[in-house]
Amino acid sequence: MNLMQAFKMAFKSIASKKMRSFLTMLGIIIGVASVVIMVSVVQGMNKRSMERFEAMGDNKIEVYAYQYYETSGSVSELLYEYCLGMQDLVMGVTPQVDVWREITIKYGAKTFSTQNWDDWEKRISIQLGSDQFGVCNNYTLGGGRELSFLDIDKTNKVCVLGGGAKTLLFDFVDPVGETIFINNQPFLVVGWYEPSGVEGMSSMDNVILLPYTFNRTLNDNQQIQQYVVKAKSAEATTLAIAKLKAFLGGFITEGENGFFNVYSNNDWSSQVQEQSLMQSLVLGAIAGISLLVGGIGIMNIMLVTVTERTREIGIRKAIGAERKSIIVQFLIESAVICGIGGLLGIGLGSMGSLIAGKFLLQGMKLWPSATITVGAFAFSVALGVLFGLYPAIKASSLQPVDALRAE
Amino acid sequence: MLIDIRDLYKIYNEGQESEVRALDGVSLQIDQGEFVAIVGASGSGKSTMMNVLGCLDVPTRGEYVLNGTDVTSLKDKELARIRNREIGFIFQGYNLLQDLNALDNVILPLIYRGTSVFEREEIAMAALARVGMDDRAHHRPSQMSGGQQQRVAIARAIATHPPIIMADEPTGALDSKTGRHVLGILQQLYREGTTVLLITHDDGIAATAPRVVRLSDGKIVKDEHQEVEWL
Repeated sequence: MNLMQAFKMAFKSIASKKMRSFLTMLGIIIGVASVVIMVSVVQGMNKRSMERFEAMGDNKIEVYAYQYYETSGSVSELLYEYCLGMQDLVMGVTPQVDVWREITIKYGAKTFSTQNWDDWEKRISIQLGSDQFGVCNNYTLGGGRELSFLDIDKTNKVCVLGGGAKTLLFDFVDPVGETIFINNQPFLVVGWYEPSGVEGMSSMDNVILLPYTFNRTLNDNQQIQQYVVKAKSAEATTLAIAKLKAFLGGFITEGENGFFNVYSNNDWSSQVQEQSLMQSLVLGAIAGISLLVGGIGIMNIMLVTVTERTREIGIRKAIGAERKSIIVQFLIESAVICGIGGLLGIGLGSMGSLIAGKFLLQGMKLWPSATITVGAFAFSVALGVLFGLYPAIKASSLQPVDALRAE
Repeated sequence: MLIDIRDLYKIYNEGQESEVRALDGVSLQIDQGEFVAIVGASGSGKSTMMNVLGCLDVPTRGEYVLNGTDVTSLKDKELARIRNREIGFIFQGYNLLQDLNALDNVILPLIYRGTSVFEREEIAMAALARVGMDDRAHHRPSQMSGGQQQRVAIARAIATHPPIIMADEPTGALDSKTGRHVLGILQQLYREGTTVLLITHDDGIAATAPRVVRLSDGKIVKDEHQEVEWL
């Protein structure tokens, strides 16, 4: 009996035992699909948090400083000058003010508000910053120019649009040179930033940047408390943090005339990375368990049919089948069932991953990793083949009469 | 001499308290073209006899020469070849594969034999026609009566044109009319030159064979020729 014939016989046998074939496949389908989905979701989540960190930028130092009474001049100016003095370490510094007051933004017939909490995607926030705001927050200029030192010094009515705000206000028209109305005051658009490109991060793109000197009029002249300093490297970050702490400590005594804090999100990002590693381990373990359950399902259905198949093998031997051809037939049969089941599982898992990405990760296009997919596939198929082959190996070594006796 | 067994034993649990001597030193010679009924009560060893003669089981000891070949020394591969080419089996419980239709069941031994794919179906249909089952070729065993299933099993046994047919209680599960029909087919095969071994506990059925070998407690107690009722 040649191989072609063995294949035909295996297919005939599968087709004639649809229920058992399907049940065997089901174990594999569920096992493979669940592993694929679980792992995809974990990898998607990791990718998402890494993307956020990358979008926010590395080596970003956040400075929080507050004085009960502004005695020694504005912290903004002092910090700005101090950072100019360590240009070997620092790329830029900016106040970071998210204006919480209600402010309306108008262009033509379109009106937006900083307080539109009902429709997050259409909320625009007003940010106050320096000429180095873009550098500090990892924005890339898409057109026009950044704010200039003069804009800040003279409190010029100019603004730079974030990628989301630009689309909301202007669609795809070039906004540079246009005038928008912020609380009914005309502001000239001088530039715009590229969108960060991270899904689900509209809050980072739906921004309008104004010179921080508008703090007086737009933010009730509240004291600016938050700053961002962008360092040149990870080492520079560590050094700059130490220097900034010493500098701020020079005129702010904690608890006496104010307080301050300096930290970088480098620490934070490594923490989150550790966390997502934990998540991977936990979800990976769950996925492993479902693969195991799927495997036990395969095992069960294969073993349950051992006696039925033992008799079949007895009959086949009685009419002249060699041991070899029986084993080859069962091998192909198992491999084909498990292969089809594995492929269906990968299909189902990929679909599940896409759906999970859509609903759990803000429409992220989630594709399963090739290694895990192949691994889960190989494991299930190996298990199926092993237990599919088991009755064949066992029964084909019996005397035909003993195999025939199986009830 | 087609079948030649000498001093053949099949002993279960040898040396133990529960020792059973299913075949206890049997010697028997059967020539080509004979029709032999092996008769005995339940437990007399007649089924064991057929299993050993049909190479479905191995004897504990003794000599078995089939058509000049010493069968007891053969490996799985050669035994499979003998079961496929030399012997056709008919069982009491039919032993058809339930998931295959009649035609595919009959084709099965032809596949193992290596018959060309173009001839198989034709040969199988001819075998089915022989037993009057060609109109049921595409029915599954579950859709057929016992008599019809047994006829399909006979078609499967004769499809490879083996020189020997062994039938173990072929009418045991059938009513007497269908049983007679099945026995008639065996007699027909005999008249065409096939060696037929019929195992039965029923003397009435044994009356269809020209030679009767009676077994009791694993030993041959009678071996005689008789007048036959042709069906």
